Amino acid sequence: MASRTSLMLRGLSPYYCCCCFFNLSSRSSSSSSKLFFLGKNSNPTIRYCSTKATGGASSLPPPDVTHLAKTARISLAPNEVEEFAPKIQQVIDWFGQLQVVDLDSVEPAIRAESLHENAREDIPETFENREAIRTSVPSYDDPYIKVPKVLNKE
Amino acid sequence: MLSAMQHPLLFSRFPRHISSSFAKSRPLHILSSAQPTAGLSVADQSPPSNSQILSIRHSLLSGHFTATQLAESYLNRLKLTEPQLNSFLHISNNVLKEAQEIDDKIKKKEEVGPLAGVLVGVKDNICTADMPSTGGSRILEGYRPPFDATAVKRVKELGGIVVGKTNLDEFGMGSTTEASAFKVTANPWDLSRVAGGSSGGSAAAVSARQCVVSLGSDTGGSVRQPASFCDVVGLKPTYGRVSRFGLMAYASSLDASGCFGSSVTDAGILLHAISGHDRFDATSSKQEVPDYASQFISATFLKSRPLEGLRVGLIRETIDEGVDSGVKSVIHGAASHLEQLGCMVTEVSLPSFSLGLPAYYILASSESSSNLSRYDGVRYGNQVSADELNSLYEDSRAKGFGPEVKMRILMGTYALSAGYYDAYYKRAQQVSLYLKHMYLSVILFGLPR
Repeated sequence: MASRTSLMLRGLSPYYCCCCFFNLSSRSSSSSSKLFFLGKNSNPTIRYCSTKATGGASSLPPPDVTHLAKTARISLAPNEVEEFAPKIQQVIDWFGQLQVVDLDSVEPAIRAESLHENAREDIPETFENREAIRTSVPSYDDPYIKVPKVLNKE
Repeated sequence: MLSAMQHPLLFSRFPRHISSSFAKSRPLHILSSAQPTAGLSVADQSPPSNSQILSIRHSLLSGHFTATQLAESYLNRLKLTEPQLNSFLHISNNVLKEAQEIDDKIKKKEEVGPLAGVLVGVKDNICTADMPSTGGSRILEGYRPPFDATAVKRVKELGGIVVGKTNLDEFGMGSTTEASAFKVTANPWDLSRVAGGSSGGSAAAVSARQCVVSLGSDTGGSVRQPASFCDVVGLKPTYGRVSRFGLMAYASSLDASGCFGSSVTDAGILLHAISGHDRFDATSSKQEVPDYASQFISATFLKSRPLEGLRVGLIRETIDEGVDSGVKSVIHGAASHLEQLGCMVTEVSLPSFSLGLPAYYILASSESSSNLSRYDGVRYGNQVSADELNSLYEDSRAKGFGPEVKMRILMGTYALSAGYYDAYYKRAQQVSLYLKHMYLSVILFGLPR
């Protein structure tokens, strides 16, 4: 979820309030980003702040939203692709901040905290409420979950 | 960490915008500031008097009122305020029946659990078998899980009554409930404002006394922030303290189910009820659960400066330029309050502090892109029929997900794509550990002795 952060401006570093990206009623911006204060009605107060993307993210090719949508199995209309692309680009530029930190000595932790061995015994158990699972299936033909055919694209 | 400081000078009465009969109900109990008292033995220290849960228990066991009467009173208030607030996506039909069961047990002098008769709201991304659980999304509209989440199961085992499912930003992605597929929850203190999010419904419901306590979930502030917006106590437990079984996953390494209450004691009692290791959640902690509520002492029994010796760091970068002046003054006010209570508050600098947010975003988007791939319209949820399997996935998800969710999935997909994993996800993991080291070094070496 987006935490409600403050916008901090310090020289060239880009600090974005997360409200900024994820309000899709905004118009897409070019070089400036807009900070939205979300009230209950969508008449946001727009505060312009200067931002410049820094960091090494620009060395990676820009996101191909159509390809991403295919990978994520979400169909997008062309106007949606147009709408999403600049926003995604903005966020990715913002991610670029992480590139400048020297992290050679830091191990990537699975989680920042540590956890102990916690697996339960590998003994199968029957789930009692199978009927509820069956009734949730949209297209069911006992005992099969029905799906349409798979088309080989390659 | 508790998000709402109950300032003694503020909020001494009920929200004004709701109708007058609503305002006549139970006033907010505010923790009084510490008064000088001679030291008392542990036996003399009574629990705080502002706990609704404890006062309900006392009244039920002494026969002052019945669970049915209590439930009716809450339900009436809920129905009265709901058209303006929109906190709930579903209201249970079984509340009075369950209350009657509690009354029957009490009449027979049987044991009742610590949450007996307590009405609990549950965020709609937490599974309840007898009620729909939509996660705030069209893709799960009408979906009924085949099981209760562990947190819900424990609430029920202790006698709690689930009054309904509360509104949220879709799958926990958002901070206002405006990203809910169904409705926007209003702030009970000012109906023109949002309740915050993503657990906005749970926060508003407790704030407006539509229920006694509620469950929410917090991945990046989703319990703490709406609690602050609605002036209730909101607690995000340490990751692993509460089982995530039955909590619809957003970011598996960050999600935590949390508690809302109108007092710290109530939040603590609820936390105790739902905490503990769960064999169905391998990430749940095996550490013992202390009895939180027994450690709370009423403010009237505290000596003056009860926090003497506690050193607190205030991170300079959180109150720098760009922060709203009203926010800065409230934070400074809180720091002064802590000093009055005996703390030594020192400003410390943590220049890498700001890296936390992009690191969080990368981790959360990436994990959510993976977690939300289960919503494909095949085994549950709403399906858009198609001739071909990929189209079925693509169209079901396109129709079922809101724009916010789609954005985050696409972002996460990008960050995890082949060739980008090192630059984004792995790097964010490293930054996360780096920040932990920074915090520790400030705590250990940056605060004056």
